[in-house]
Parts: sequence; C-alpha cells; structure tokens
Amino acid sequence: MVMPLDTTIDAAKKGSADLLILALVEDEPLHGYEIAGRIERGSDGTLRFTLASLYATLYRLEERDLVRGRWIERAGQRRRRCYRITDKGRKALAAQRDDWRRFIAALTNIAGLRPA
Amino acid sequence: MTRRFDWQADIRAHASRTDVDLTDATVVEIAEHLEDIYTGAMRDGCTESEARARARTALEESTMDVLRRARVATPSGQAMAEAVAYTSGGTSLNLSGALRLAVRQLRMHPGFAAVTVLVLALGVGASTTVFTVVDSVLLRPLPYQDPERLVTLWDVNARRGLDHQTLSPVNFMDYRELEEFEGAAAWWRPSFNLVDPGLDPMRVNAIEVSGNLFDILGVRPQLGEGFPVGGPFFVFQDPMVVISDRLWRTRYGADRAIVGRILQFNGRPHAVSGVMPAGFHYPDDVDVWERLNWDLHFHSRAAHFMESVVRLEKGTTLQQASAAANTLAGRLAREFSQTNRGWSVMLVPLLDEQLGYYRPALFVLVGAVALVLVIGCLNVASLLLTRALSREREIAVRIAMGASLRQLVAQLLAESLVLSSAGAFLGVLMSYVALPALVSLAPARIPRLDQAHIDLRAMAVAIAIAAITTVIFGLVPALVLVRRKASADLRSGERGSTRGPRRAYSVIVAGQVALACALLVSSALLIRTVINMVSTPIGVDGDEVVTTSVQVLSNDGRGPVSPQTWRKIADSHELILQDVRQRAGVFAAGATSHLPVDLGWRLPFEVEGDDVPVRADDRRIAQYQMISDGYFETMHAPIAAGRSFSAFDTADAPPVAVVNETFATRYLAGRPALGRVVVSTVRYIGPSVFNLMAPGAPDQAPLPRGFEVVGVVKDIRNTPLGQPIEPTVYFSSQQFPVGELLYTIRASSPSSAIAALRAALAKTAPTVPIGIVRTWGDRMATRSAQPRLLMLLLIFFGAAAALLAALGVYGLFSWSVAQRTRELAIRLTLGARPVGVGAGVVRQSLVLVTIGLIAGLAIVRLSEAALTRVLFEMSPHDPGSLAAAGALLVVVALAACVPPALRALRVDPVEGLRTE
Repeated sequence: MVMPLDTTIDAAKKGSADLLILALVEDEPLHGYEIAGRIERGSDGTLRFTLASLYATLYRLEERDLVRGRWIERAGQRRRRCYRITDKGRKALAAQRDDWRRFIAALTNIAGLRPA
Repeated sequence: MTRRFDWQADIRAHASRTDVDLTDATVVEIAEHLEDIYTGAMRDGCTESEARARARTALEESTMDVLRRARVATPSGQAMAEAVAYTSGGTSLNLSGALRLAVRQLRMHPGFAAVTVLVLALGVGASTTVFTVVDSVLLRPLPYQDPERLVTLWDVNARRGLDHQTLSPVNFMDYRELEEFEGAAAWWRPSFNLVDPGLDPMRVNAIEVSGNLFDILGVRPQLGEGFPVGGPFFVFQDPMVVISDRLWRTRYGADRAIVGRILQFNGRPHAVSGVMPAGFHYPDDVDVWERLNWDLHFHSRAAHFMESVVRLEKGTTLQQASAAANTLAGRLAREFSQTNRGWSVMLVPLLDEQLGYYRPALFVLVGAVALVLVIGCLNVASLLLTRALSREREIAVRIAMGASLRQLVAQLLAESLVLSSAGAFLGVLMSYVALPALVSLAPARIPRLDQAHIDLRAMAVAIAIAAITTVIFGLVPALVLVRRKASADLRSGERGSTRGPRRAYSVIVAGQVALACALLVSSALLIRTVINMVSTPIGVDGDEVVTTSVQVLSNDGRGPVSPQTWRKIADSHELILQDVRQRAGVFAAGATSHLPVDLGWRLPFEVEGDDVPVRADDRRIAQYQMISDGYFETMHAPIAAGRSFSAFDTADAPPVAVVNETFATRYLAGRPALGRVVVSTVRYIGPSVFNLMAPGAPDQAPLPRGFEVVGVVKDIRNTPLGQPIEPTVYFSSQQFPVGELLYTIRASSPSSAIAALRAALAKTAPTVPIGIVRTWGDRMATRSAQPRLLMLLLIFFGAAAALLAALGVYGLFSWSVAQRTRELAIRLTLGARPVGVGAGVVRQSLVLVTIGLIAGLAIVRLSEAALTRVLFEMSPHDPGSLAAAGALLVVVALAACVPPALRALRVDPVEGLRTE
C-alpha cells in the first residue's frame, strides 16, 4: 500500500477491507477485478486496493473459511477465480456490520459527523 | 484466448524482485486481473500502450510481500489449503477440527489410507486372535485352586529311553510321604462297561482314583458330597463313583435323584456320590471317577501304570520338590535295585503336562504372529514415511504461514489417530470373525481352546501397538522435515536430497523381507513335517478298516480272576470274532491289544540258548502285544517268514509267538528265526492281561515258559511317529488273553462292519458295549492333526507376511522411481537405453531381497530351539525348505517391482524433465 493516502483513511481501509469484500460477495460470486472495480467506483476512488493487498485479503478470508474461491470457466470467456461468501462468512459479515454501525454512530455523536 | 502480453512473466519478474515465490495459481489469477485492467482501459478509449501502462502500474504499485502467504488452489492442494487454514487460523488446539481435517486429508489419498488401514487391521486382527488363543490355552490359570502349585509326577529311565513313564503304585506311596508335597493323588485307567436296565450298554472313560483327588484340585461336586473331604485314600468296601455333568445329563436326564443311586460298572454295583461341575473331566476326558479300593502298597515296584497329581507345599518351588523327589528315587534305586535301578522321577507343572505338543506349537505361533505384526508395523512405517516425504512442501508452506509446532504436531497426531483407530476397529472386527472360525476349524482337540473368548486385554495390547506405530512413524519423519524446513523457505521447487530417507526406507523394506523369510521358512518346514508324518510307513494297509474296543468280562466282574475265567474271556473274544467273520460284507476280522503306532507293553524276555544276564536290570526288553488270528490279515501286514496265528493256537496248544523283523534281526540274528524259543516270566500285566501258558499257581512266581517263534512279520510301526521301531513279540490272545481288545474289521463298508459287530455282540454277549468306532485312516489322521493345524496357521501367516513384504517392495520402488523421474529422464536423454533403466530397478530390488533373505535365515537360526520341537524327522536347516521359501520370496519381490520398473521404462524424457 504505497498510495499516498491520508493516514485516517489508510487505517480505516485496513480495518474495513474484510467488511467491504464480504459485503460485495454476499449476493453473487465475483472475481478479483470485479471486486476491485466495485470498491473503487462505489467509493469514488477513495478506497482503492493494490493488487497484492486485494488478493492477500481474499486469500486470508478464504483461509478463514469466510469466502470460498473457485475457478470458473465459461465458453468464450477467460477463466476466472470467483469468490462466494460462506455461511461462516455471513455470520462474520453480520457481526462486522453491527460493529461498524456502532462505531459510526459513536463517531457521529461524538465527533459531530454526519453521514454523507 | 490469445494475449498480447505475457502478464505471468511480468508478475513473476516483479515478485522475484521482492524475493517472493508465488504459486502458479496466484500468478494466473493476478494475470487475469491485469488482463481485465488492460481490456477495461481499452474499452475506456485508451491506446494500447496507455492500457498496458495502466495494468503495469497496478502491478508495480503492489508490494508482493503481503502475498507471501501463498496458497495452492489446484484440486489436490485443496486439502492442504484447508490444513493451512486450520493451522494458521489461531493458536488453539481444536481436537474435533483437527480430526475432521485429518479425515478429509485421508480422503484425498484413498489408496494410502486404505492400504494403511488394511495392514493395521491385519496386524491387530491376527495378533488379537492368536493372543486370545494363547491366553486361553496357555496363560489363563487352570480352573483349579492355586493351580500353580499342582504338578504331575512321571518316572524316567534314561538308559531305556523312557522319559515320561507312568508310576509304580508302590513307589508312588513313597513319594507321597515327601514333606515338599502337601498332598498327592494317584489313579489308573480301568476299562468300564456301564450297564443300566433299559439303556444301551456303554463304554465310559473312567479312572480309579484315590479319595483325595478333588481335595487336591480344590474342586467340589455340583451335586452330592463326592468323596468325603479329608476322607480315606482308599476303601476296600462300598464301591463309590462320582460322575461327570456330561454323563449325568446325557444318560440320566440331569435327574437330581442320581446321588445315592446304584450303577453297575463292569457288573459290580457302585453308589453314585456326586456329580462334578460341567466341563470338569480331569485328567483328560473322564466321565467316571471310581474311588480307589485297593492298597497301592501291595503291588510291584516294577509295574508302571499309575498317574499322579501332586499339590506342592506352600512356598515350595518346583526345583526344590524335584530335588527332594529325586533324592528319594536315588535311595529307592539303591534299596530296591532289582526293580528301581536306573529309574528317576520327573515333576511337570500340570499346565505343561496338559498342553503337551501345543506348548511349543503355541510359542511358534506367537512368534509367527509377532513377526506378522512387526512386518505390518514396518509396512505402515514405510507408508507413513513416504507420505511424510511427499508432504515436504505442504509442511514448508504451513511453517511459512506461521503455523506453530504445536499445531503441526496436533494435526499429524490427529491423522495418525484416525488411521490407527480405523485399523484397530477393522482388526477387532476381523478377530471376531476369525476366532470362531479358528476354533471350529481346529482339526485336533486343543485343550481349553473351546473356552477362548476375545480378550479385552489382548485387544488393548494390539491396538496400543498399532497406535504407537502410527504415531511414531507418522509424526517423527514429519517432524524431521519440520526441522529441516524451518530455516529454508519454500522458494525452491527442487526437492531436497532423498538419499537419507531412501536408505531408511530400504532398511525397513529389507527388514520386512527378512521377517517374511523367517515365517516362510517355518511354514515350509511345517509343510515338510506334515508330509513326513503322513508318508511315514506304518507297515499296514488298512485305512478303511474299522476299529473299536470291546471289553469282555466274566459275570462276577472285578477281583481276583481265576485262570478259568481268563480262558472264558479268551473264548468270548474268539466267539465274537468268528461270528463277525461270517456276517455279510465282512472280508476279515481280528483283534489286538495295541493298534499300530501305539506302544505295547515293554517287558523283559530271554531267548533260549542265549546267556542269561546275571543282573535283572540287564535283561533285554521287547514290546509284548497280544493279537488274535486274522489280525495281520485284516490289516494287510505281510508275513516275512513262517506263519501268523491260527484259530488253533489256543491255551491247549503248544505256546507260540510271532516276532517282528526288528526283533529277528536284533535278537535272533545268526540262525534262522523260525523254531527259536522266546522265554517269558510274565504272568500278569496289571489286572488286564494274564498268561495262561505260565506254569505254576496263579499267586506264585511263574516258571519260565518258552514260546516257539512260528513266524516273522514285517515291521509294523509300534512307536510314535519319529521314534525308531522297537523289537516286538506278538502272542496269541488265546494263550495270553486280554480283557479289552481292539477289534479290526475289514468289510465292504464301515457301516456293514459295525452292523456285523453289533449283530455278533447281540447274539453272543448282549451286555458288552462297543467303544468309539473309527476307521484306521481316521485314527492316523488325528496323529498328524496337531502339526497340520500349526501348518495351516503358519501358511496363513506366511502368506500374509509375504504379501506385506511384497507391498513394501512395491511401495519402495514406486516411490523411488517417482522421486527419480527427473534423473531417469536425464539419463534417457543422454542416451541410456530404457531396458537398462528398468533393469536397474530390478537389480536394486534383488540386492535388497538378498540382504533380507540372509537376515531372515539368521532369524530362523535364532528360533531353532522352538522349531525343532514341532518338527518331525527333519532339521530346521532342511535345504529344500530354505530354498523353497527363499525362491518364493524372490519371485514375489520381483513381481512386486515389475510395475515400478515398467514405469521407469516408460519415462518420457521431455515430460520427465519438466516435472519438479
């Protein structure tokens, strides 16, 4: 992560990476490029992963059995490794969402922030 | 899909700059990502070079360090990924998780798992079964009180080669007084006919035994008093019997009123005083215990016909008691040199006595099963070793991912546990199937085998051995790898040197071959033994001849029998035989005091005209056997010279004898045998035989009486298999009558022989029962039954051992070829001929097998002592057996290395070089 980012966002990004990826693959299986693209677009470029950190996170989630990756090959398309959330991942996601909700509520109340 | 750029090369180059080794799968995945960026950029309207730069930037801005936690996503790596996930998922040791993972891991390698489990099951199953048998037959205490203090007593005469002789009653009464003995009981085996009104007369196995037998054994009747506790040793009056539970149930319908009832044994009334517990038939297969009714002091020190069981004093050892008994025997030999010179006494623990042949046999068996278990363990060890070696990379990855040693150990332990519990479970199942099969297949009656039940201790031992093996061999090699790999990283695709492990593996396989060789040699020796036994010439040809015992008694039963009564006994046998011969379907009939292979009575004799030795001890000994006319003819025993007995050789005719060839060559050499005279001074042989030809009153010492040799019969085996044939004098059963004779009947079928005998008995002697009916062939078969059983078991274990050893050889060379594919490919590229490469594999296996064979022969040498005791007419060095076993093993081992050799032949140089 060599992007010259603000330290606050940098730290938040680290902590939120799991949440973001789990949330993205919650409804449909996605491959790495799609995930990276959705994060970048969804955050207007504020949140961006390097290739290495994206895949490191994906692999870590997979090792913890929160997502499962499978090579998928379709006619006329390149093979892609797609990631899908597991049951364990759903539980972890729910827990993280709760945490973040409380965290943001706390920030809102104390630091006088307002959700954009 | 064609690509314009080699993203993979870019990725690898980038990763190598940061010293990271990415897995292929990761490289592929990131390459696809770069391609996506590139095509996305093109879609956005970038030029080709701009698009490429965008992808390049994405790669360049990534520090690959974070991907050091590489992972394998190929299908075979799936299980490993899971293992990695587990071991890197925290520091806790989650047992159930570890076990689940272990099961999943083994499912990924079904061949390895199946073979390991099967080998373990075989080891556990075989050893549990055999240990159960050995334990119930050998180790479990006898069902008597303090059985370790019970011993049996035997007379020994080394000079005459008698090492296990029954006792003289008079000598027994002296031994009985020894202070080392708490008590001693003695018995002999009369023949009993049991006659009840309304029931068939029957022969029963009986002993006439001193009144203290049940006290000494510490067993009481289940019904009635039995012989009174602490009661007299013998009682002249009031004949009393105790009967077995079996007789009570089968003949008297378990009628509780049996106690006090009077039964007629040999025409004499006996009161039943008790019924022994079920299964009690001491000393072997006895149904009736008659209380001793004569004083053992009043007999001869020269007559050996009593058996004895002794309870040693508390704290007295077998050695002390033996020493004391032999000191006494020495004194008796000096005091009564006429009868006792040369005789000593031997104490044998009761259990050893009852087991006889089976003791060494069972030890051989335990040795065999231990070998199979060890071979099995070695096999599992080599399987686990190769598995550990093939997991080098996996373990390296785990360490790189930060797995702790504790977690690795837990995981390996879990795998070992899963393997060994599956093996143990299957093994226990196997022994539950095998044990009943073994018990029912046993061709001979092995003492106490019917009481064998799977022993939990035995099972525990076997399972423990299996578990320890798997844990040690599953864990240790892996841990060695852990240490080796802990420092190195997983960059290199090269495997480390396999020379060390290969050497260890070779030693293990050579060990298996050695042990299998030992087992196969033992099996081969036993096979030869059985063949020797079956093919030993007996001197008769009568497999289909029906044999059974018939005891003829005068009406007044036991007690002093007059010569007139003996005459009647002789006449009765003759009458029955004549009647049988006239019946339909009967070709020939005869009778004998001893069937072939059984020992006759060894008694002194003289040959008229030879010097008579001064000392009684120096008199020559021959076997005395009494036979009827027609016996040799029935058994097809050829007469070498002269004639056999005829119906006219009665007590009123001149005394005659027939001798065997051994007797003629040893004692009648020089002059023609026929016409020579054999002199005997024997009047009685116990209560069962009487010499009608001996002159003088029956209660006085007989004058010598000569029997003219009228015939020489070709040797009929008269000693147990394996011992030299002894000189024998055959007397006419009309001149030298025997109460109980073994009838031999040759007829068109065994059933017509039996029908003829029953009809003849019904007509001439309706109260006389017949004994157990068996053909001569059957009787001979039981003689070799014990070694046959042992042979069958050893063949089974030998086959299992050979199979396991072959599996070991196969495993070693398959692995070795797989490891050396690259080397073989290089050699093929450099011009080596494929045949040469294949031959190299075969040559290596030959070297290994040869080393194994040599070590195996050394093991056989070490176990010679045990083997010699179960072999018959052969030495444990029998070259034929050694060669056969060795050849079989070489063939099997070579067959096992053929598939790997073929694989080596087919190595494709190009493919081979590409492999890691």
